[in-house]
Amino acid sequence: MITLKTEFQKIKRRKIGLTMAALTGIQFVWFLWATKNPDEKELTQGWLNLLYSLPLLNVIMMPTIMSVLASRLSDLEHKGNTYKQLRTLRRPGILYDAKVLCGFLFVAAICAAQILFLLVLGYCYHYTDTLYPHYYLSAFLLNLGCCFSLYLLQLNLSLLFFNQMIPLVVGLCGSLLGLILMFIKMYSFLPWGGFLSCTLVSMDWNVETRVVTYFYREHSAIELCAIGMVFIWIAIFYMTGRVAFTRKEV
Amino acid sequence: MPKQNLVETHNLTKQYGSVRCVSSVNMQVPPGAVYGFLGPNGAGKSTTLKMILGLARPTDGTITLFGTPVNEHNRIKLLAQTGSLIESPSYYGHLTGEENLRIVQTLKGCSAKDIDEVLRIVRLDAARQKLVNHYSLGMKQRLGLAAALLGFPRLLILDEPTNGLDPAGIQEMRELIRSLPDAYGMTILVSSHLLGEIDQMADHVGIIRKGELVYQNALESLHSHAKSQIALRVSHTAIAMDLLRQDGIDISQEEDYLLFPMMDDSYVANLCRRLIAQNISLYRIEKREKSLEDIFLSLTGKETSL
Repeated sequence: MITLKTEFQKIKRRKIGLTMAALTGIQFVWFLWATKNPDEKELTQGWLNLLYSLPLLNVIMMPTIMSVLASRLSDLEHKGNTYKQLRTLRRPGILYDAKVLCGFLFVAAICAAQILFLLVLGYCYHYTDTLYPHYYLSAFLLNLGCCFSLYLLQLNLSLLFFNQMIPLVVGLCGSLLGLILMFIKMYSFLPWGGFLSCTLVSMDWNVETRVVTYFYREHSAIELCAIGMVFIWIAIFYMTGRVAFTRKEV
Repeated sequence: MPKQNLVETHNLTKQYGSVRCVSSVNMQVPPGAVYGFLGPNGAGKSTTLKMILGLARPTDGTITLFGTPVNEHNRIKLLAQTGSLIESPSYYGHLTGEENLRIVQTLKGCSAKDIDEVLRIVRLDAARQKLVNHYSLGMKQRLGLAAALLGFPRLLILDEPTNGLDPAGIQEMRELIRSLPDAYGMTILVSSHLLGEIDQMADHVGIIRKGELVYQNALESLHSHAKSQIALRVSHTAIAMDLLRQDGIDISQEEDYLLFPMMDDSYVANLCRRLIAQNISLYRIEKREKSLEDIFLSLTGKETSL
């Protein structure tokens, strides 16, 4: 806890919270634009629509947001050459864990803010379909898992490379890849495609009537495996990152 | 009973690929000493200090701190009694000097009052609220020293602490380091590639050359290695040389000078009389001492840069 406390002492004046709020705010603006002036049909499946849109937006934006977060938390150590001092005060594994936990709290706050925003939005529009809280809770947890796996990947890269352009480019490429994955399949075993695997709502678009109908998905066995893969990625990224960080000489 | 060394290394070795940076170093730092770790650039000083601090893993050998062999389990506990400043100072530029020290103080678990004390010692109290990015290099170096001093550890490990400082800053840093053992009972292990610097600060010295510790003892002992010689310049060098050889004196010639070991005054006076009696003009008679630089170069090799 003491090491975690120092993580927050370190990021004073770094405006990380503000940066995350700004990036997440872009998503909120998109939601406001996408849901404006709903018609009767849209009001009857508003809650479903929001749950459908969230992972699609996240698959594009979250790789970049997570790379920015990881980079902002790590580059201050590179710039100040601080690990040669910190490693004489704490075991490297504990330093790594503190960085992970600090980032996790930011990720959790972002995911919670997203869900909260959707709930506020839904209540403001008075959507007429039934709100199932457990779906929104599941969406929060799955979203958290996907974001956290990407954060760990980006953190490892940010800690490994002095030049933060490398992890940021990986983040941007992840966003592009997510975009491509959207057109391939609704599930993916790649870390950037986790959001798609974890989609709780699907839709049916009738070509003739041009009407969109949303419905809660039932996941097939392979889709459940893809969801499980998100948590396997978390374990892989955490373990490999921790070992690499511990072994690295400064 | 002899006092226990604060730092001991046994056959400490570090190899990167096929390059052996540090080779079987057996360092012994006695308590209360200012141990000057001297060597040319690239000799292996920083690597040795990093291994002592656990920042680099030794390829071979062991390290003992405060009489306890260091391992992965007790390393942090033992290092809690040390402070260090390796190569350049570690700092967060977007934070003030005080905020930087607060982080180290939190991790060290020492009293918050120590921050005021160390800032006073390094004379940074006036700049405590200034962002470190706005500090000069000398101020950053002093902040690094302040961080190392937090908690007033038993052992302070400083790697080239005067690097980048102006002459006044260098002098100030030297005086500060020299004062720490008496003022706070600390033992200092300080590295430098400057012999003069170590000569002014240290009372013990270890000289490393190409990864090997080639000399280790009290600085006084190094001074005693300085040999005095008499240099003689005369009008007829060959005749004078014969005369000295007849007396069984080990003599050598260096340019126009004849060099022979230090003799008592009566022999030198007698020699002068005999030379004059043989119509040999006496131009110069000088006492020459082998300087610390000469000793250092003879130990480290002239080809290495200082």
